[in-house]
Amino acid sequence: MKTRLLSLILAQLNIFFSISHSRYYYLKKRQRLWEGILIAGSIIILALTLAFGVYKLAQGFCSQAALLNQEALTLTTGILAAQFLMLILGVALVISVFYFSNDLPILIPLPLKPWEVLTSKFAVILANEYLGLLVFIAPVFVAYGMRADVNWAGYIPSAILVFLSLPVIPIAVASILAVILMRIVGFTKRKDTLTIIGGFLLVGLIIAGQLYLQTRLSAPGADEEFIMRMLARANSLVTVLGRQFPPSIFATHAVSLAGTSKGLLNLCLFVGISAFSFYLFLVLGNQFFYQSVLSGFEAPKGKSRPFVSRAESAQAHERTPILSLAIAEMKLFSRTPVYALNGFIGFLMFPVLFVVLLVMGNDPEMAKLWGSLRAMPEFHRIGSLLVAAYFFVLVAFSGIPFSPFSREGKAHIWFLKSQPVSGQEVAIGKALGAEIMVIIGAIPGLAVFQYIARLHVSSFVIGVLLGIAASYSFCVFGVLLDMARPMLEWTDPRKAFKSNLNIIFGMLIGAAILFGIGSLIVTLLKRGYSGLMAQAVSGGVVALFLAAGLKLLQLAADRLWMRIEL
Amino acid sequence: MSQHANRSLLKLESVSKTYRGSPAKAVDHLSLEVMPGEIFGFLGPNGAGKTTTIKMIVGLLAPDHGRIIVDGHDVVEDPVSAKMKIGFVPDYPNLYNRLTGIEYLNLVADIHGVSASERSNRIEGLLSMFDLTHAVGDLIQTYSHGMKQKLALTGALLHNPPLFILDEPMVGLDPRSSRLFKDLMRSHCGQGYAVFFSTHILEVAERLCDKVGIINKGKLIACGSMDELRRLSKEADESLEDIFLELTLPEEADST
Repeated sequence: MKTRLLSLILAQLNIFFSISHSRYYYLKKRQRLWEGILIAGSIIILALTLAFGVYKLAQGFCSQAALLNQEALTLTTGILAAQFLMLILGVALVISVFYFSNDLPILIPLPLKPWEVLTSKFAVILANEYLGLLVFIAPVFVAYGMRADVNWAGYIPSAILVFLSLPVIPIAVASILAVILMRIVGFTKRKDTLTIIGGFLLVGLIIAGQLYLQTRLSAPGADEEFIMRMLARANSLVTVLGRQFPPSIFATHAVSLAGTSKGLLNLCLFVGISAFSFYLFLVLGNQFFYQSVLSGFEAPKGKSRPFVSRAESAQAHERTPILSLAIAEMKLFSRTPVYALNGFIGFLMFPVLFVVLLVMGNDPEMAKLWGSLRAMPEFHRIGSLLVAAYFFVLVAFSGIPFSPFSREGKAHIWFLKSQPVSGQEVAIGKALGAEIMVIIGAIPGLAVFQYIARLHVSSFVIGVLLGIAASYSFCVFGVLLDMARPMLEWTDPRKAFKSNLNIIFGMLIGAAILFGIGSLIVTLLKRGYSGLMAQAVSGGVVALFLAAGLKLLQLAADRLWMRIEL
Repeated sequence: MSQHANRSLLKLESVSKTYRGSPAKAVDHLSLEVMPGEIFGFLGPNGAGKTTTIKMIVGLLAPDHGRIIVDGHDVVEDPVSAKMKIGFVPDYPNLYNRLTGIEYLNLVADIHGVSASERSNRIEGLLSMFDLTHAVGDLIQTYSHGMKQKLALTGALLHNPPLFILDEPMVGLDPRSSRLFKDLMRSHCGQGYAVFFSTHILEVAERLCDKVGIINKGKLIACGSMDELRRLSKEADESLEDIFLELTLPEEADST
């Protein structure tokens, strides 16, 4: 007989990965089976391609590190990068899964202890992370094993155990931070707003803290004598790099020294610390989880104002349907913590990284470098293209325009579908809303970038205009993509955003376009064409892209809108 | 009476719909007409095709066959014009929880192009009627089910639609709101407009409706005024409940 915890975990996994749902629609009802096969096939091919890329990269890194007798640095680098990313992205994921799942009103009345609910949700997050790690860390382990000529009998079990324990510490730390944040937020009236701000502050603090640690730890050992001393000992740089996050040293040694007693000791240490961090999270969560969730159910009441002023405000805000739709899109996205935390994270990460670069590069040498760069006229023209590319990156990686209909879901799409608006109006409204969010989100990053780069005003303005045109055309494509295949069936709003393939397609298409245009510009510059020519060609490509997007919208939006049925 | 006097406000001509993967037709060659000034009650057992029909009228589903005309506009050919004439409230109106009541109403008014002065008057009147004035500045997520229902009704009536379509409108309304709402339906029809609603509450349909349509297994099995329906039944003074049960009785039970 299954224990209730196991039952709960299996049910959560089933819901999260839509196992029964897919089985019912694809296998039993055979609805759009071809689409399921196509999507699964694309994901597998994409995952294998990425895994192979990571494998080749790790292999190259390992060969270079071997020359310095530091092969294990490959493992440390991979483990550190993975844990750092899981920690940063984990905050938003954990808050979404723990506090904004639609199943909480079902789970809380059940005779379950908070730690059981938390464990089941933690298992879901781990399973999600394992999928990513299979692509990004498993190939590193394989590449190291092949290069270092390991004893596979000992290596494979150790690598599997380290792999399984790898996400536990970052997710547990992110969960502990989230539990504390949500407990504090629970005492306040504006819970949604504070959750979003608090989530961003946590991510900002983690990034800043990590980079501070990195600069502080690398500074004293950066001198040549220290490096030479380290290089004289095999794999000694693992200790230096691993000081940023000590468990990564245990994880590295557990794998690299697998089959030895030292390897076993490190494995026990790593698994032990992972288990302890999980335990710590459960103790804290058991204490505060339900309190925070229940305070979240107490929806805040606003201060009621006299009706006269509201009627006046209604008059003042008479808008066109498109503008009204765009504003509603912005309000709904930015007021929903699950969407705002996950969608706006890029708006925050880039400026924080720029600021850190600014602080780190605040030495006379860097100042001299920037000075000489600014003196080159081509720098300003190329800089303007970087500004434009920044807008494009934000669109591609925020996921906002690739999910507007999916986010409506079956529950809310009835409203727009029953309103007298055409598919074109809805698509333009949604794209405009996404674009305005991207423009506002780009401001902090652009401000920091401009402070560092000090582009000529004309170049900066050209970059911004080019960026707005490029990002709007991409928003239009994104909205049409989501209109063509909206993910309307979900019970948890996070799924419409985080598990939406349209967003992944958007990222891939965006990366491919950026790579294409970037390669074109580099080729032009290498062949001696001026920066002005690069600007002109980019402008031409963006104009074509915008025209194509608007034409597609005109041709397809109404038809796609009609196809959405409830 | 308005310009709608001689033209049906809703006309379904042999409308059919089959859901993908289902062998049976959810709606099977359904034809009916709703004239100005009429309250039309649409009745049927669970799964009979009531909601599917309503979804096709308001554009949430496309019919496989047949035509749906709203005040002279084909719902498939000219959906925007047709929807301009409709005010719709579904059985469980999931509204945008993270908008305030007034933001939601302004969105609806903007989409329907309701002028500033008109919207202000109508919002004020409807909110006061439904006793929502105090809550309109709050987020919709703070509303009870009944308040959400009333806000959805307010939104649906904001542009004074010639055709008011409601799927189970009495669900979640307290007795006072329910009474208010019935009065509202009657006064709406008094302007020469029409109301088309589905319900399970047969007493309401019997008292309120000028015309009743009964659908079973996707087919319209009876349609007419209460007197016309009584003529179809075995006994002259049967209630709507008796007629409904008689007409929708499963075939095997009927034969025994």
